[in-house]
Amino acid sequence: MTVLAETVPVLPAFGERLRVFARRNPTIVIGGVLLAAVAGAAVFAPVIAGDPIVFNPINRLRPPSEEFLLGTDSLGRDVYARTVYGARISLLVGLTVAAVAMVIGLVVGLACGYYRQLDAVVMRLMDGIMAIPAILLAIALVSVMGASVKVVIVAIAIPEVPRVARLVRSVVLTVRELPYVEAARANGSRVRKILWRHILPSTIPPLIVQATYICASAILVEAGLSFLGAGTPPEFPTWGNMIAQSRLYLATAPWTIFVPGTCLALVVLAINLLGDGLRDRLDPRLARRM
Amino acid sequence: MSKITRRSLVKGALTAGAAAALPTGIAIHSGRASAQAARTVRMVPHGDLRVLDPIWTTANMSAYHGAMIYDTLFGYDGNLAPQPQMVGRHGISDDKKTYTFELRDGLKWHDGTDVTARDCVASLRRWAARDGAGQHMMKSVVDISAADAKTVKIALKEPYGLVYEALAKTSTPLCYMMQEKIAETDPNQQITKHVGSGPFKFVDGEYVPGSKVVYDRNPAYVPRAEPASGIAGGKRVMLDRVIWNIMPDAQTAAAALMSGEIEFFEVPPIDILGTLETARGVKLEVLNKLGNVGYCRLNHLHPPFNNVKARKAAQLAVNQEDFLRAAIGNAKYYQTCGSHFTCGSPMGVEDGSDFLKLPMAQRQAMARELLKESGYDGKPLVVLHATDIHVMNQAAQVIAQNLRQVGFQVTLASSDWGGVVTRRSNKNAPDQGGWNVFFTWGGGNATSSPINLFGHAANGQNAWFGWPENALHEQLRTEWAGAPTLEARRAVIARMNRNMIDYVHDIKTGQWVGPVAYRADRMKGMLAVPEVVPWWNVERV
Amino acid sequence: MTAYIVRRLLATIPVMAIVGVFVFMLLHLTPGDPAAIIAGDNATEQNIAAIRTRLGLDRPLYEQFVTWAWNTLRGDLGISMFSNMSVTKLVLQRAEPTIALTITTLIVAITIAVSIGVLAAARAGTLVDRAVMGFAVMGFSVPVFVVGYLLVYLFAMKLRWLPVQGYVPIEQGLWPCLRNLILPSVALGLAYVALIARITRASMLEVLAEDYIRTANAKGVAPPGVLLRHALKNAAVPIVTVIGIGVALLISGVVITESVFNIPGVGRLVVDAIARRDYPIIQGVMIIFSGIYVLVNLAVDIVYTFLDPRIRY
Repeated sequence: MTVLAETVPVLPAFGERLRVFARRNPTIVIGGVLLAAVAGAAVFAPVIAGDPIVFNPINRLRPPSEEFLLGTDSLGRDVYARTVYGARISLLVGLTVAAVAMVIGLVVGLACGYYRQLDAVVMRLMDGIMAIPAILLAIALVSVMGASVKVVIVAIAIPEVPRVARLVRSVVLTVRELPYVEAARANGSRVRKILWRHILPSTIPPLIVQATYICASAILVEAGLSFLGAGTPPEFPTWGNMIAQSRLYLATAPWTIFVPGTCLALVVLAINLLGDGLRDRLDPRLARRM
Repeated sequence: MSKITRRSLVKGALTAGAAAALPTGIAIHSGRASAQAARTVRMVPHGDLRVLDPIWTTANMSAYHGAMIYDTLFGYDGNLAPQPQMVGRHGISDDKKTYTFELRDGLKWHDGTDVTARDCVASLRRWAARDGAGQHMMKSVVDISAADAKTVKIALKEPYGLVYEALAKTSTPLCYMMQEKIAETDPNQQITKHVGSGPFKFVDGEYVPGSKVVYDRNPAYVPRAEPASGIAGGKRVMLDRVIWNIMPDAQTAAAALMSGEIEFFEVPPIDILGTLETARGVKLEVLNKLGNVGYCRLNHLHPPFNNVKARKAAQLAVNQEDFLRAAIGNAKYYQTCGSHFTCGSPMGVEDGSDFLKLPMAQRQAMARELLKESGYDGKPLVVLHATDIHVMNQAAQVIAQNLRQVGFQVTLASSDWGGVVTRRSNKNAPDQGGWNVFFTWGGGNATSSPINLFGHAANGQNAWFGWPENALHEQLRTEWAGAPTLEARRAVIARMNRNMIDYVHDIKTGQWVGPVAYRADRMKGMLAVPEVVPWWNVERV
Repeated sequence: MTAYIVRRLLATIPVMAIVGVFVFMLLHLTPGDPAAIIAGDNATEQNIAAIRTRLGLDRPLYEQFVTWAWNTLRGDLGISMFSNMSVTKLVLQRAEPTIALTITTLIVAITIAVSIGVLAAARAGTLVDRAVMGFAVMGFSVPVFVVGYLLVYLFAMKLRWLPVQGYVPIEQGLWPCLRNLILPSVALGLAYVALIARITRASMLEVLAEDYIRTANAKGVAPPGVLLRHALKNAAVPIVTVIGIGVALLISGVVITESVFNIPGVGRLVVDAIARRDYPIIQGVMIIFSGIYVLVNLAVDIVYTFLDPRIRY
């Protein structure tokens, strides 16, 4: 949420400063505005769109019209309503996956970076998980646990954890040797306090950047899982589901694919742009490397 | 663009025994290569051939495989009448208790040995152990034996009216003949050798499960003299090679058909038929006129559907038209039907199904009333939902909405079909891993017989998933099998259908046919057979 | 150097052990009964129980695990529960298409990505640079199957330049084989192009800013020579890294691409196997993929030492 607060300029009093900010950070602004618009649609979905689940087969595959702004899908559901509600679930999947992977990865990474005896064992475990192809792991998880939004989130988040953990750990390893941390340790500060006050803050900037990429990739992976029939239950209007379920109609009812497809590409693009912009601002070191 | 590898050609020649002298052998190959490419058909079937034992499994793909390489004693013709196939002369004794089949001349296994009566006896026994109709027949059978090298005898305790029907049927598992030593395999184990006497040979070396199956013409096959009809008549092979390409993505398969990379696509999704219809050279044709019957199984063991009133409420709530429109889409290919035994088949009576004609609003009102009387406590129903198969995916969502409309609470338990298959066999309460409702479909031909389809049994714990129990129904099934004439059977079926609707055996959701799509500019001669796609009689043009 | 390689090789053992335990537990501790699926529609409970016994699924879990682990160590991946064929044979049958697809994708992706990455760096700040980078961000914002369908629609169905689907073994000629691989490798490579192009550009910019390049410039070496000889060589370290990371990405993409273009590869084998709970195939392929991932990353680490003389072990 700090992301949004920083990127959605609303107060006119800062007008001049914002213009400067926008000129210097065009990617943050473009990404942020796009994302804010989609988030707005997600929040106000019940106000601006009808029911996304109820269907009437009589109306199936209608082209866009006054009654159905963006046409209907193969069950006669309103594509506009599903796309708007789709923003909710697609963003929810993206954000939750990012949050889950962040929190677990952060804890693991901090612990491994600080408690060296833990490191060898836990990092091998992380290496192991990382070696398993993420999509296969996710399909297998969804297949054996049954499809639900919860399972899909867990299935996408698990393979991301080791990457976050590694990132955090590498930051911790660098930071812990810095003079001020050594000083804190010499002063007899408690471990938890050192981690919390001195080490955690340095891990935040690269983490935020990483979080945006995970969020973007989670939305894409969800679409891929839906394509393979192992995604969120088809009743839920996620963009991935809508695309996957409409792939038969590419030639006859292209709106069923292109509407959610465009939304998905735009949002992923927005998040990636935002991530790039944030990286340049928050983590110049990484910016140079990447 | 040929899909035949050089290696396979050499192998093909080896099996044909033509590679004795190498130099001339090579000359023959190059000559055959182009001719063979021209006489090859590449087809995309509805699924993957996973099991090569068509007796052990009821999977349709395995039955297709069986029809390629095995032959049957009898076979249904195009009018669903049993006709002799491997059998030449045959007869029934006057007391109707002994059947005699004499094998016709020239029958040979793919390894060159003769087909004998002993082979057929072992095959009949193994098939009868696996098949529903076979098991039913065996209750009346005293002995199956080989009278001599070419004569099979079936001796019965009492007259049984369905012997030819059982041996000739096209619903799975078909009664395919195998070599004695293969047929002696435990019926619960799969066979490992694939030697038939049928019109095609299985090319073992090119079989890639999940991707490709290859069959070559059996040059030693002697077809009957009659014209081909159904799976009966002369199986004249006019192709050298049939290649099955397994393609899980229907969009890809349709595109491949239009661009000429394949010649035949068995189950084009109905929603893209419009596109296919207008494509150059592509023709659509309904081969299986009895099509498919959708049904919704209710779990009779647990509340609310252990109460007939709740079952009746569900029966009134499920709208066939909604399902058909959502899952099939094009009214040209579907029909609503009030019969449990396939409308359009000889048994397709609709007695007792008048409620289907009432307006939906009235049915829903009746359903709400019944549901209240049933004492339904509002606990959500668990509806199993297979997401990876188009029709099933749509079906579960429609059924859920229909049930919600009359006051049921519904949870969709989504998974792939594999997950549904696993869960549906669980007899526990729905909140302990069990279920309340799942959808599936059966072939219209198999469904038309109260004996052939396992799903038609109502013997409680031993019945098919859902475990319905109804003594009258079981009694009527026995009565049906013993009925001497078609009219008598129809009379029994009328009572049976009324009863099944009354205790709500399961809920039929309508019928549909699926046309196949093929390149009429490249091939012709497809035969219309329920549940099997034959490749004899087909030729390239 | 040798000691380092041996040490790294030894370190892969616990990683693979963890993969093994993880994959086995994932499949066996959760519901899903392959016996019920094998038995099919008309099976009785006795049938299912008999199949379970035959497959050894009724034995204690630790016993199943020990048997499987021991066999795997000896290189025996077991027998598919459905087709009764050995997993090794099934994988080998399908290895060629997957390897061919992966190699063409890598070649296509690296060639395009490095060229446009270098181009963007050389023209940093210009319209060319922005266009390349814009394309790069777009590249990994579109699902691979959407790209795949669009390519098929355009190049196979409308223009009829290339086949829609399928795979032709390389023994039938290089061109027939490549023709079938062009669309899939472009679809699959797009995300990869995007990733590598970005990193190439960033590394090039970093290197170009360093002293020795300025020295080279001052000495009068022509700019293209500078770019290629000095800069690209030094920029290669992060590029190689990302290719290592990208192997994981590539494996995921392969699974979907093989479905879209009907390529009979290992990815489709395992997706089918998951749908049927064919445990031996799932376990075998996961172990193989994980092993490849580990080995590629090991190779990448070793390549470092050649590319960057500053890295010493």
